[in-house]
Amino acid sequence: MTTTLHVAIDSKTKKAVVFPLVFSGVILLLMMIFGVVMLLGQGKLIELNPIMFYKIMTIHGTGMIGVSALAGSCIIWYFLKQYVPLNTAVFRLNVYLFLVGVAMVLVGIFAYDFAGAWTFLYPLPAQSGGMWGKTGAALYLGGMLVIGTGFLILLLEAARAIIKQYGSLATSLGWPQILGKEKGFGPPPTVVASTMVCIVDIIALITGAALLSMSLINVFVPSFTIDPLLAKNLTYAFGHVFANSIIYMGVIVVYELLPRYTGRPWKSNKIFLIAWNMSTLFTLIVYPHHLLMDFVMPKWMIVMGQVLSYMNGLPVLVVTAFGALMIVYRSGIKWDVASSFLYLSMFGWVIGVVPAIIDATIVINHVMHNTKWVPGHFHMYMGLGACAMILGFMYYLTRMEGGRIDNKLDYLTLWLYILAFLGLSGSFLFSGKSSAPRRWAEHFPEWIPADVVAAFFGTFVMITFLLFLVRFISYSSNIGSKINQSDDIRPSTHG
Amino acid sequence: MYQQASWMITLLFSVFVILIFVTVLLKSGKRVDYGKIQTKGYFIRSVWFVVVFSVMLAATYFTLQDLPFEGAEAEETPVDVQVTAIQFGFDVSLDTLKVGDYAAFHVTSKDVNHGFGLFDDQLTIVAQTQAMPEYTNTVYYKFTKPGTYTILCMEYCGMAHHLMKREIKVTE
Repeated sequence: MTTTLHVAIDSKTKKAVVFPLVFSGVILLLMMIFGVVMLLGQGKLIELNPIMFYKIMTIHGTGMIGVSALAGSCIIWYFLKQYVPLNTAVFRLNVYLFLVGVAMVLVGIFAYDFAGAWTFLYPLPAQSGGMWGKTGAALYLGGMLVIGTGFLILLLEAARAIIKQYGSLATSLGWPQILGKEKGFGPPPTVVASTMVCIVDIIALITGAALLSMSLINVFVPSFTIDPLLAKNLTYAFGHVFANSIIYMGVIVVYELLPRYTGRPWKSNKIFLIAWNMSTLFTLIVYPHHLLMDFVMPKWMIVMGQVLSYMNGLPVLVVTAFGALMIVYRSGIKWDVASSFLYLSMFGWVIGVVPAIIDATIVINHVMHNTKWVPGHFHMYMGLGACAMILGFMYYLTRMEGGRIDNKLDYLTLWLYILAFLGLSGSFLFSGKSSAPRRWAEHFPEWIPADVVAAFFGTFVMITFLLFLVRFISYSSNIGSKINQSDDIRPSTHG
Repeated sequence: MYQQASWMITLLFSVFVILIFVTVLLKSGKRVDYGKIQTKGYFIRSVWFVVVFSVMLAATYFTLQDLPFEGAEAEETPVDVQVTAIQFGFDVSLDTLKVGDYAAFHVTSKDVNHGFGLFDDQLTIVAQTQAMPEYTNTVYYKFTKPGTYTILCMEYCGMAHHLMKREIKVTE
């Protein structure tokens, strides 16, 4: 093989991603601890006041998605900068706004008792049933607005840079190749994926901002009301798309590094480009699968929620994961922990897709909606998919830039993480099969054994993640310290 | 039935995925020319696409025959039950039904979003819909077994969400 693992990135960009990655890692760990505390409470292994449970539940959901997106933005920024000039000040601005927003959310929840869940379904923020007041709701909604604004500015900058380089987002999504106007391969996979993320997230974040603003007004001016069904649509048009986009940000590290590890190119051929165009469209319009039990929705939208969810599985099942398997198969790859995480992420994405698709089937959703089946499938998909991408990126950085050498404990921790996450997700799915509701502070005795099992596996997930984080932080200060390293980098295998 | 089917399909598919990924992992060591892999891989991918697409198509066709919001009006006249959710309880217009009753639950909310989950005496969900302010969702269920059924809240609605409960007796 004649390839190199180095990526042609300047030291400034390398250094810029260190703090947000460390911060994301620490917050992810904290959110995992909160997750385990909730399971210990549901399993009656500790006494947990329901009010505290719902506050923790709110920060767990909000924090997990928020910091995963922050880590995902590091991946997109780091690799996209090879192809288009990006303004690092904008990247830093997003991190600052994120910190401000997180502080507001934390104060809103823990000082002013806001516990409206990450979904903050209208009109719950203004009608708490006596649990929180206007200040708590305003701090939470305002904090979310600040965080969303930061991501919006970041992605507008990425979209601007892509359009400047490629002429239009249609070109960077490969339309000339799809339509046969140009022969050969489309833009690099990183550019295609970044374009998709920019399109779906810019729309989702503007939608979310509109909803957050209207909810904020409603908190202070109750006579200002929103149609509850419209508000619910806006919630999931924002929340589903933004959460879903994290894995599309993360997969960029797979597109960039697996070809380098295996010495085999990952080109944007026509099928690849069609798959990403499908993902762009489906990710935007698939959200009605959250509203399958809202029977007042137009029937065609409910049916489309099922059909599009099925279709949205095709790009990953048939193109992305299959492509990863082909690249690895008989490649002579020299495995390390980083590449193992990247391979794991493809496994996690695929294995998480099926229970998700099953739940998007209307007749099944009828008995599974808002049971623990739902966190079962997205913990699998986020923990073994998106998180594995982030961890793979972290391990890659400290190996290439930080001077870290893989040891046996790294591999042992990796395998424990996989088994523990399968156990955790499996126990959630089992609870869902047993009709145990999600978002319940206290379960009936029949559902408690599965909660105890989940708490056991969740504790192992938490411990293994702590070990990963210690390894990353220990070597992170070296990242980007080798000046001008990018000058002698050979081109990547994307051509 | 649907819960059990979902569990079994997920388990079987998970085993299949694990086998595929472990096989490729075990066969990743010895390097061969990528051109040959691509030729064979693209053929397998085409077959895989046809299989996955066909399964999805069949599943779509069969599952859309049984939509929970479409009552079988031709079968019999439903027994109407009005359900109103409120933080933190349910008001129901009728809490005693008979085996064989074909119930139409008209569900709404007086304040925030709630969920209407109908559980049988084994604590298994048999029907659900959302309880929304300003809207009424109707869900149909035919009672075939006597016992105590429980309505539980399935949409997070505040600090006593898990305490929202209302029983319905179904007699012979």
